[in-house]
Amino acid sequence: MNEMLGLYPQWYVPGIGTAWVMGIIGTIHVLASHTSVGAAWLFALLATKSVAENKPEIMVYLKRYGMFLLVFSYIIGSVTGPGIWYSVTVASPRGISGLIHNFVWLWASEWVFFFVEVIGVYAMVYLIGKIDNKTYLKLAWSFAVASWATMILIVPILSFMMWPGNDRWYHTGSTFDAAFNLNYFAHLGIRTAFMFAVAGAVGGIIAATMKDRETRIEITRFLSKMGLAGMFLMIVMFMWYTATLPPNARLIMDTQMMPKYGSTLAALLIATLIYFGLTAWKPLQLRQGFAIAMTFAIGLFGLWPEERSRESMRKPYVAGQYIYSNQFFSRDVPGKGVISDMPLIAEKGVLATDYFIPAELRTITPENQLRAGELLTRVMCANCHSLEPDGALRPLPALLGHSDEPKMIKAYLDGALYHGMIPYMPKMPLPDDERAAMALYIASLSAPQPPVIAANPAKPIQQGVN
Amino acid sequence: MDAATTASMLHTLQDPTGIPSHPLIFQVLMVFTWIPHILFVNISLGAALMGLYALTKRQDPHWQLFSEAMTKVAKVGVSLLIVLGVAPLLFTQTIYDPQWYASNVLSAAWVIGFIFTLTIGYLAWFTFYMKNHGGHAPVWAFWLGVLGLSMFLLDGFIMHVLAYQGLHPEQWLAWYTPGGKVDMSGTGIHAYELPRFGFFMAMSVTVFGAFLVAYGDYFKVRADRAPAYLAFARGLGTKIALTGAVLQLLFLLWWLMDVPAGIHIWSHPMTWLLLAYLGVLVAAMWLARNKAEGQGYRLMALSVGMAALVAIFREVLRMAYMSPFHYNILDYTVHWDVPSFALFLFTMIGVGGLMGGFIITLVYKAGRVQGAYQADAGVSKLGTGSLASTVIWVAAFLGVGIWIWLRNNG
Repeated sequence: MNEMLGLYPQWYVPGIGTAWVMGIIGTIHVLASHTSVGAAWLFALLATKSVAENKPEIMVYLKRYGMFLLVFSYIIGSVTGPGIWYSVTVASPRGISGLIHNFVWLWASEWVFFFVEVIGVYAMVYLIGKIDNKTYLKLAWSFAVASWATMILIVPILSFMMWPGNDRWYHTGSTFDAAFNLNYFAHLGIRTAFMFAVAGAVGGIIAATMKDRETRIEITRFLSKMGLAGMFLMIVMFMWYTATLPPNARLIMDTQMMPKYGSTLAALLIATLIYFGLTAWKPLQLRQGFAIAMTFAIGLFGLWPEERSRESMRKPYVAGQYIYSNQFFSRDVPGKGVISDMPLIAEKGVLATDYFIPAELRTITPENQLRAGELLTRVMCANCHSLEPDGALRPLPALLGHSDEPKMIKAYLDGALYHGMIPYMPKMPLPDDERAAMALYIASLSAPQPPVIAANPAKPIQQGVN
Repeated sequence: MDAATTASMLHTLQDPTGIPSHPLIFQVLMVFTWIPHILFVNISLGAALMGLYALTKRQDPHWQLFSEAMTKVAKVGVSLLIVLGVAPLLFTQTIYDPQWYASNVLSAAWVIGFIFTLTIGYLAWFTFYMKNHGGHAPVWAFWLGVLGLSMFLLDGFIMHVLAYQGLHPEQWLAWYTPGGKVDMSGTGIHAYELPRFGFFMAMSVTVFGAFLVAYGDYFKVRADRAPAYLAFARGLGTKIALTGAVLQLLFLLWWLMDVPAGIHIWSHPMTWLLLAYLGVLVAAMWLARNKAEGQGYRLMALSVGMAALVAIFREVLRMAYMSPFHYNILDYTVHWDVPSFALFLFTMIGVGGLMGGFIITLVYKAGRVQGAYQADAGVSKLGTGSLASTVIWVAAFLGVGIWIWLRNNG
């Protein structure tokens, strides 16, 4: 057992919580980065078509829109990529640390691809028409494959966040055992399919403005077929993906995510299929504004629910089913020498073992009980729950029925949470006085008046009721 | 927090997962991948400032052309500095995780602000770039450029703060709990060091100046670039570089005087080596001021050498700051993971070498040719190698992945 907890200070965002901050940046990034990878393939395919069929007008359009499609999406993607990293750093430092210390060489390999991509993107745009065709195609295809490689390298980390899928990694600690987890290939398949679908939509922004009628018809149909193929592949991959999820994720998906987002996603799916069907049938009817609207619809109604769902379905973990969302280690990982935090907090609590606790709150007294409860609640709960009654992130007071009765809340803390009986909630085996302090504070969030206990230290909450 | 408790805290905060290779490997990579990052920071800041300044003098055709060129340099430079910054950040988080994470969380709002201000700054600069053509940039575009540069400078300052706060773990608890009350807002800027920040700004002046001389030399083979314009750029570059080198020397002296006495920085050989090198750099810039042509690559190489020394000095300083807390990266638990390390090496050599080499060679050679460039045999082979390396990489990675996946889940 450890002697102290390795918890960091905490960042608290009222109302939306740190999870939404990550979600917002993540959604922007996924849209930009998948667009850019898809656009890289689109460029390679169209450049090949241009050379093979001797249609230089296609190159003209690639040059004209390359600045927007490639450079813009790559830059936004490359700013928001570290952006996700930064937001996770401040929201979940122990989670990102665990990932980095497991996957540092994968990330470093991705960085190599990332670097050649960024210099490649400028070469792709500025060298159109400035170098011979054969060399340009080598550049375009190297670039497309390298772009996909960045996805191939980041998905192991994202899918490991869901779970390893078997026990092997816990004992070997091997990076490849973690990387090629049960969820990996299905997850990669979904993202690859999505990449083609979104590139099909984004490509419409180019195609809709082409002057040459025949080229416009040809390219728009090409994009439609690519988009449709991407959509169908995504449906198949999604079915496989769900089969590779852990039981807790399936439960959350079935009971919470599908009721919340299912109809939106289904509507988007149908709308996207109709969009590609129409543009294949009547390519000249495609307007640039329509293509832009479709791209944003995919981002807003497709990616945002997807990002939020993926975050929710991991609960109660943030990585590898060994780091809880509230940053505690839930279990031992012998292959890496990680020791569970649960025995320590059960024996000594959090206040005595976290370095970032003010001296006057290390021991709970009737005078500081409410403040200690507030601090504990933030440490234990705020990564996933707003503490404001009208907060956007699974507000704690509402989930507890706006109860202002400490005893009732403490009974919940003493029972299901103490023993870790709720599949999507972390186990919280805190000592009795810490649970009592939390119950008092959480009740105060729904109390119309400041709680009596805080005002009258002579009547502290009864301890040891469980 | 006293030194003993701080030492214990740092040790506890180190990720128990350990690291997958020897810590010195990460330290060397951290230091040396930071060099290209800071060079592009320097070039981009210098180019952005001069691109804007030049626009105010655009009645002169040289300044007009210069403004357009520097606007473009800053646009490309910022995207490169971002991608180049990822690697040193990754390696910092691997061996100095307590310092980086604690400092970031304590100023979390600024960390998130960094992302949005960088995005806004880049978009503003991108728009300015799109409008700054043919001497017709509207006034509002100029101010967008100013906004872009302001955001870049703010972001540089935020990065400085995050790095500097990480050097003071003894203060973290006091910053987090001012007056005994926990502050989770992340809105505080808790510590900064003006001479240190000023040194890196001065470094931008030097490096950008050297870059300008090299820029003049690079384009001298192009018939469509007037020799007078290139001479103008080189002349400007030597003046700027000399000014920067002198400023750097002054800021370094101020910085050294500001470092706490307990660090004993004056007794470290790296301190004197850096001071001496800067003295040599000043002399080199002085000697080049009247005969800059042909000096560009030499001055640029000297600047790269200076950046390497600064990178090492920065790490020496961090180790000295951590010494009272017995934080030594060599104490990190190592769980060797040879396959993933090999993956990185093969990726670096195979993809980085072949594809990176192909693109850089191609851009360099095509840029020096007026009109279309026909790849020579060497570049053509590099191109084939580039494509082959990426395809083989993907096939090998997925092949190994399928085998492991079947073994573990089959």
